[in-house]
Amino acid sequence: MSLLDTLRSLWRSIAPRSSSDIEDELRSHQQAYREDLIRQGLSSEEAQRKARIDLGQPEVQNENYRDAVGLRIFDELGGDIRYGLRALRRNPGFAAVAVLSLALGIGATTAMFSLIYAVLLHPFPYADADRIMNPVFLDEQHPHEDRWFILNEAQFDELRLAAPVDALLGFNADHMEITGGALPEAIFGVYLTENAGTFFGVRPLLGRNIQPSDAENGGHSVVVLNYRFWHGHFGGDPHVIGKTLEINHAPYTIIGVMPRSFAFNDTNGVGDVYLPGSLMRGAANVPYLAYIPWIKLRPHVTLAAANAALEPIVRQFAKQHPERFPDHWHLALQPIIVPYQQSSGRTLTLLLAGVVLLLIIGCANCSILLLARGRARQHELAIRSAIGASRWRIVRQLLVEAVVISFTGAVLGVAASYWLAQLPMKLSPDSFPAESVLRINLPILVFSVALALLCGILFGLVPALRLSRHDPARMLPGRQIGVVAAPAKHRWSVLIAAQVALTLLLMATAGTAIRSFLRLLQVPLGYDPANVMKLGIMLHVDDPGEWSRLQSREARTAYIEQIRQKIASVPGVSTVAVGIDATPPYIGAESSFNIDGTLDREQPQARVILVGQRYFAALRIPLLQGRIWNPDENTRGDFTAVVNRAFATRYLSSSNALGRQLRIPGLTRQTPFEAVSAQSTAWRQIIGVVGDARNDGVDRPVVPAIYLPYTAVMPPYVQFFVRTQGDPLTYLHSIRVAIASVASDQQISDGAFNGTFTLNEAIERDAQYSRQRLFSILFGVFSAMALGLALVGIFSVVAYSVAQRTTEFGVRLALGAPRGHVLWVAARIALLSTGVGIAAGLVLDGFLGAILANWMHSAFAAASLLVPAALLALSALLACALPARRATTVPPAEALRYE
Amino acid sequence: MAQQVELPQGTLEMLILKAVSLGPLHGYGILLRIQQISNQRLEILQGSFYTAIYRLERRGWIKGEWGESENNRRARFYSLTRAGTRQLKAETARWTDMTAVVASILDKKADEI
Repeated sequence: MSLLDTLRSLWRSIAPRSSSDIEDELRSHQQAYREDLIRQGLSSEEAQRKARIDLGQPEVQNENYRDAVGLRIFDELGGDIRYGLRALRRNPGFAAVAVLSLALGIGATTAMFSLIYAVLLHPFPYADADRIMNPVFLDEQHPHEDRWFILNEAQFDELRLAAPVDALLGFNADHMEITGGALPEAIFGVYLTENAGTFFGVRPLLGRNIQPSDAENGGHSVVVLNYRFWHGHFGGDPHVIGKTLEINHAPYTIIGVMPRSFAFNDTNGVGDVYLPGSLMRGAANVPYLAYIPWIKLRPHVTLAAANAALEPIVRQFAKQHPERFPDHWHLALQPIIVPYQQSSGRTLTLLLAGVVLLLIIGCANCSILLLARGRARQHELAIRSAIGASRWRIVRQLLVEAVVISFTGAVLGVAASYWLAQLPMKLSPDSFPAESVLRINLPILVFSVALALLCGILFGLVPALRLSRHDPARMLPGRQIGVVAAPAKHRWSVLIAAQVALTLLLMATAGTAIRSFLRLLQVPLGYDPANVMKLGIMLHVDDPGEWSRLQSREARTAYIEQIRQKIASVPGVSTVAVGIDATPPYIGAESSFNIDGTLDREQPQARVILVGQRYFAALRIPLLQGRIWNPDENTRGDFTAVVNRAFATRYLSSSNALGRQLRIPGLTRQTPFEAVSAQSTAWRQIIGVVGDARNDGVDRPVVPAIYLPYTAVMPPYVQFFVRTQGDPLTYLHSIRVAIASVASDQQISDGAFNGTFTLNEAIERDAQYSRQRLFSILFGVFSAMALGLALVGIFSVVAYSVAQRTTEFGVRLALGAPRGHVLWVAARIALLSTGVGIAAGLVLDGFLGAILANWMHSAFAAASLLVPAALLALSALLACALPARRATTVPPAEALRYE
Repeated sequence: MAQQVELPQGTLEMLILKAVSLGPLHGYGILLRIQQISNQRLEILQGSFYTAIYRLERRGWIKGEWGESENNRRARFYSLTRAGTRQLKAETARWTDMTAVVASILDKKADEI
C-alpha cells in the first residue's frame, strides 16, 4: 500500500463521509420538506425560502458534521496556521529576524546531530554492525593497551565454529603495487576471507563482492575496488567490470566496485583493493596464512557471555604461540565503534553543547521579539477575548504562530545543516571513521521536526501566557496615553540577561579555544617544517628476483643511498635525508635501554629514531654538543648514537653526555623482511646532543630520544625528507623521474603508511592540532552567531519600546527634559539587563570554565574572559544607543498628534 | 395544536434511535416520525437535528445507506445497528428509572415526607 493510500484510509476513518455526501443529504431533505410545505398551501417561492431558512446553508451543515465527528480542531489549527503565515508576511522585518534566529540554532543543532548520527550512532554500512566485534586481548599490566591478535588457518576454523559466533571474517593487509603502467603506483590491498560479501552485507555499486566460490583452486585472481580508488584510478568508469588490473606483475579481473560508504579499514588504512584471502597462499613472501579476525556474534548474545565462551579457545591459541601474548591477559570483545567513540565522543559532545546554547539563545531571541511585539497586539487580543475567545484558545493561537515561525526556521536550518555538518569532518578528518557519510535521512528529519516543535513551544509559551492574560477593561480603551508609562514589568529583561549570559559563555569558550590554538601555532617545534616533504618508498618484497638482490643489508643501504643521491641532484632540492618512521611531530618507538654498563631492573625508556646523518640538517635540528655520525659510521650502523637534550637532561644530568655508553637490547630482527646490522644491540657511544624537536605530538613536551643510523635495523621501506626551495610538492614529478632512473619500477608510496606530504601537513594531521583548530573555528563561528543574535534582541527590544512610547518621549522633550535623560530613559532597562547578564555570565564562566578547559585539553585563563566581556558590553551599548537615539529626535508636535 | 415541549439535553438522540428502530428512515422521515408520534408537540430545529444524526452514525449506533425514497428521490436511509439496539434499550431503561424517581419525589405530599 502506498503512503497516499494509507493517508486516505486514515482520513476515511476520521471523516468517513465526504462533504458532497453531506450536502446531497441536506438537499434531498430540503426538497422533501419543500414539497410538504407546498402541499400545506405555501407558494413555491415561499416554500423554497422557508426550507432554506430552516435548514441553513449546506456549508454550515458541513461544519456541523466536522464538529460532530471531532474535526473542528483541525479546522481551527489550519486557520491559526494561515493567520500565522499572514502575520509573518505582514511584518517582514520581524519575520526575517525571528526565522533567522531559529534557522541558525536549528541548523547548527541538526548539523551536529547528523554528525553524531553518522559518526557515533550509525557509522558503518555493514549489516548488523552492532554485533560485529574486534577481539582484542588486554594486557593486565598495561590495561590501556589493547592488542589484536592474528590466527592461522586452523585456529581461524576453530574460532568460526565457536558457539557465540554467527560469522567470522578474516582479513590481512599488504602493500602492493600496480604494475604495467609508465610509473608504478603503490596501493594498499586487503585480503578478505571469501565470506566477505555476506559478512558485510553491503551491496556493491557495480558487479559483485567476493563470494565463497572465489576460494576455488587456490583462489581466483579477482579484485573488488574501493570507491575512491575506482574514482582516482579509473575515473569512475562504469564499464570497469571485467577489465584487468595488473597488481605485482599478475593480472586480476575486476569483479566489483564498492559504494562510497564502504571503506573497510584494517586500522592501518583504507584498502584500495580487496582480494580473496585464499590468494595469500600464493603470495611470495607471506610466511604463513594469517588472519586478523572480526567476529559477528549471534543475535542476543551478550558481550560477557561471548567473552566467557571464547576465552578458553583463545587461551588454547596462546599456548601455541606464547611469544605473541603477554604474561597476564584476558580476552575482551570490543564493538567496532569503540576506537572512534574514544577519539571523537568528547569533541562531538562539546560541539553539541555549543550548538544547544546557540539554539537556546535563538529561542530567547524569538521570545523577546514576540513579547516586544505583543504590546502592539494587545488591542487585537483584547478584542478576541471580548468577543468570547477563551484564554486557552488565545494561547493556542499564539503558540501556533510561534510554531509557524519555528518550522520556517527549521526548513531553512535543515537545508543549511547539510553544509554545516561537513565542516567538522573537513577540519578534522582523522577523528571520524572514513565510512561515516553524512546524509539527511529520516531520523534526522524527525529530529529536526521535533526540535522545531519544541522550540516553538519553548519560546512561544512565555509570551503566549503573558499576552493572553486578559484584562479587556484595561486593554480595550486602547493606547496608554501620555507619560503614564508602560507597566514596569518587563519579562524580556530577564530573557535579555539570560541571553547575554549564555552568549558570554560561548564567547569565553571560543576565546579559550582560539587562545590555545594560537599558543599551539607559536609553540617552538625544535625543527623547521617549512618546505620539507616526506616521501616513502617500499622495496619490492613481492618480486622474488629483486627481493633476493636487496635482501642483504649492504645492498639495501647502497640502493637507498643511490636513490637519495638522485633525488638530491634534482635542481631546487637542497637537502635529502633518510629516516624510518621519523616524520614529526610524533615519531619513534618507545624502547628500553641501559646506560654505562649498568643493567638496571627499572629499565629507562626513550624513543628510538632511525635516521640518516643528514636528517638533522634537512629538518634544521640544531647540534648542541659533539658531532653527528659520518657517512662511514652511517653505513656501519653500530657503536654510535646521538641523543636529544631531553635525554641528556633526564638521564645524563650528572656529567657530560658525550662519551657515555648506551645499549638498546630490543634492537633486533623482528620480521623476516628486516635487515639488521652486525652488532645492533651492542654498546654505543653517545657522540652528540641535538636540540629538542617535537616527537610526542605538537602540544606535548619532547620526550627523551635516541637517534641511531637507520642502517641498524632496516625494514623494507624507508622515507626521504626532502628540503626544497619553495613548495616541495611542485618537485614531485621530477623526483619521481629521478627515482625511476635508478629503478624503473620503484614507486613512491601514496598508500596508507607512507603517504607523501609536507611536514606542515603532518602537523595539521596531528590530533591535538586538528582538534584545537576545529574548536577554535567552530566556537568562533558559534559565538559570532550568538553575539549577533543577542545584539538583534537588544536592538529590537529598545526599538519597539521607543516606538511604543513615542508620545511619552515627545511630552518629556516638550516639557524640557534634556536629551541625555531621554536617551537614558529609553535604554536603561535593556542596559541594566545586559549588565546583569554579563555579571551572570562571568559567574557562570567561573563555574564551567575549568570543566570546559579540561574537555578541550587546553588551559583556561580568567584573562580570556575580559576581551569577550568588553566586546559584548561595547556592542550591547551600541545596540541600545542606536534605537534609543530615535527617542530624542521625536518632534513634540508630531508626538502629540500621534494619538 | 397541543402545547409545545422543549427537549432536555441528550434526549433527541434517544428519540432518533427509537424512530429508526421501527424501520429504516431518511433524515426528513425521522423528523416527521418524531413529530407525528409526539402529536406535533416537539419542535426540533432542523439544522441541529442532523448534528445528532452524525454523532449517532459516528458512534456506530445507526447506519446510513443511500436509497430511493417513496417518491423516487435519492435519500439516505438510516437503520439501527446491533449496538444501537443495545443503546436504545439501556437509554430507555435509564430514562424510565429517572422519570420514575423524579415523579415519585414530585408526587410526595407534605405529610408523607
